[in-house]
Amino acid sequence: MARSRKRFLSLTLKVDLILIATLAVGVGAVMAAFTISLLGSSDRLTRENLAQQGNILYTSIQNFMIPGDAPLAVKFFGAVSIASPNYSIKLYRRDGINAFSDNATIDTVNSNQTARKFARRLVIPDQPAMPNRPGLEKATAVPPEEVFFRDDAGGKSYFRSYKPLLNLPKCTICHGSDHTIRGVIDIRSDVTSVIAIQNLTLGAGLAGFFVVVGALALVLGSFLRRVVLDPVKQIGRVCTAVAGGSFEGRVEVRGRDEIGSLARTVNTMVEGLYERFELTKYVSSGTIGAIKEKRQEPKRVGRTLFFTDIRGFTSYTESKMPERVVEVLNRLLDRQSEIIQEHGGTIDKFVGDEIVAYFQDEDGPNKACRAAVAIARFCAERLEENDGLAVGMGIATGTVILGMVGSMRRADFTVIGDPVNVASRLCSIAKGGQIIVSDATRGRAAGEFAFRGPLAAKLKGKAALQKVWILTGSAVPEEGS
Amino acid sequence: MKHGVAAFAVAAAVCSSLALISGCAKSPEIYAPPEYVSWRATTDVVLNYPIPGHMNRFRLPRMNDLGFSAVPKTVGGKLHWDFPEDTVIVKEVYATSKPGPGDKPIQLTIMAKDPGDRRALGGWLWYTKVLPDGKETLFPGNYCITCHANANEQHPYGDGNPNEEFRDYVYFVPGEKPPMPGPHPEATGKGR
Repeated sequence: MARSRKRFLSLTLKVDLILIATLAVGVGAVMAAFTISLLGSSDRLTRENLAQQGNILYTSIQNFMIPGDAPLAVKFFGAVSIASPNYSIKLYRRDGINAFSDNATIDTVNSNQTARKFARRLVIPDQPAMPNRPGLEKATAVPPEEVFFRDDAGGKSYFRSYKPLLNLPKCTICHGSDHTIRGVIDIRSDVTSVIAIQNLTLGAGLAGFFVVVGALALVLGSFLRRVVLDPVKQIGRVCTAVAGGSFEGRVEVRGRDEIGSLARTVNTMVEGLYERFELTKYVSSGTIGAIKEKRQEPKRVGRTLFFTDIRGFTSYTESKMPERVVEVLNRLLDRQSEIIQEHGGTIDKFVGDEIVAYFQDEDGPNKACRAAVAIARFCAERLEENDGLAVGMGIATGTVILGMVGSMRRADFTVIGDPVNVASRLCSIAKGGQIIVSDATRGRAAGEFAFRGPLAAKLKGKAALQKVWILTGSAVPEEGS
Repeated sequence: MKHGVAAFAVAAAVCSSLALISGCAKSPEIYAPPEYVSWRATTDVVLNYPIPGHMNRFRLPRMNDLGFSAVPKTVGGKLHWDFPEDTVIVKEVYATSKPGPGDKPIQLTIMAKDPGDRRALGGWLWYTKVLPDGKETLFPGNYCITCHANANEQHPYGDGNPNEEFRDYVYFVPGEKPPMPGPHPEATGKGR
């Protein structure tokens, strides 16, 4: 199954991204809503204003116009445009041509009614090219639609509306009944300055948005980095150090919040781990293993017991300075421990200058003998350095009871049984540099090692003489020896 | 039990809100039922002369009996018409000026008197229905009423409303006198 590969993103970067995204969406949404509302309100206001003006003009035309006065209205619209340069009102026929710019309407009216004839214009001004009038079709359709649109021309912006003029029944007497729409009122309002202000507001809003988002991202990012990310990183560093075996690091506790609480917990945990780590030096690996595996029940197992003891150590301690005694003792015990562990043995306990260890598995006797030979060699090579101290060793193999021994308050996971006693006794009778093994041990290790014996030994606690052997070295001479 | 009551209250509130938002608290109503064809015509005048909005298409306006029960009051020495609520006038619009006996109208325009409806203009709801398959649809804007407002002043149709009575936006009111002599809309030609 293919494993999904995710790009590594640091927590700092993630938090920064989340902050910026949240601010951009949150503040941006508010800004966008505000801007849209502002622009929409302005447009709607202008549109409603134009519609209202159109309605007023239309109502005025409907109610106050006396037949024949339409040209006056056109003249009035022209005057309004002159008086207010940013505002214009125009009247178009339904075909888009400026009303009363020629004699077409006057001729129609004169032909439709006989009561009063209107004078034709004698001078017709040159007709400009018909301008494009977007939306005129909608405004002159049946039914018509009031049209609003924005018109940008000559660097200026206009809001415009086409207000349809209906051919009302009362108008049909003069203007005829063959059409529904007479024309449109075109109201044009210059909104260039309004648009400029809108754009300025929009630009300022956008700039403000980016400044606010940037500033908030910086402030919040810095705050979060100081309060959350840095302590988390520090916790990570301490944990990494602990995993590497260093217990010296501690997390700086800055506050009383959750992060501070976590930092305190981590520090407590590291201290606890350190204590446990130190304790492993004083507790046998068997005890630690039993605790780990939660096995407390005793059981019978085959083991090879291995005892070492420094010969003449008591008199040595009386003749030497304590510092020297401890230095030499620790060196001897330390190296013996290393050798035993290198050969797969388990240190059960230290009793003064004595080491109690055991080996398991089928080749436990061989391992124990190898360790003993190595210790003897070490002691021989460093005899002078160790002030002439040598180690006597005893090895016995057999069935022992393995289990927790002691009280509820203090116990050891250790071995008890006859091989333990035998190995101890053998060790006690061994001279410095001598390795005495039981007959059972020799029987299993005979192929690899040379033994001298058998010898009959009187061991404490044993009525009969015991058959024992002295390990003299490897059965096969070592290379170079 | 409490949860059930609360759920019902929430559902009721949501339904009420939706009804208010939609602006249609009333149930849908048909103003021109099939039997409208038996309603009496509002005028004997043959309406096939051109008028704005319908041109020379033949029109036949009919009104329900409630409308015919209206009696005008006299206000300021003039008659003042106020058709009762639920008066319905259905104007059939045909495709040509002289439809044959089997021809059906192509459109209905409907005036329904309902002054309490916020969508009413001049107290009337202005509907249209394109036949044969269209639905009754409220006409947007003030296109209809703008023309019909002329019914309340002098105009060129029917008796012409010479005294400018308020006729409640209806061009042919019950008992209207025959058309006055003079220029008839049919005589008018193309215009500007």
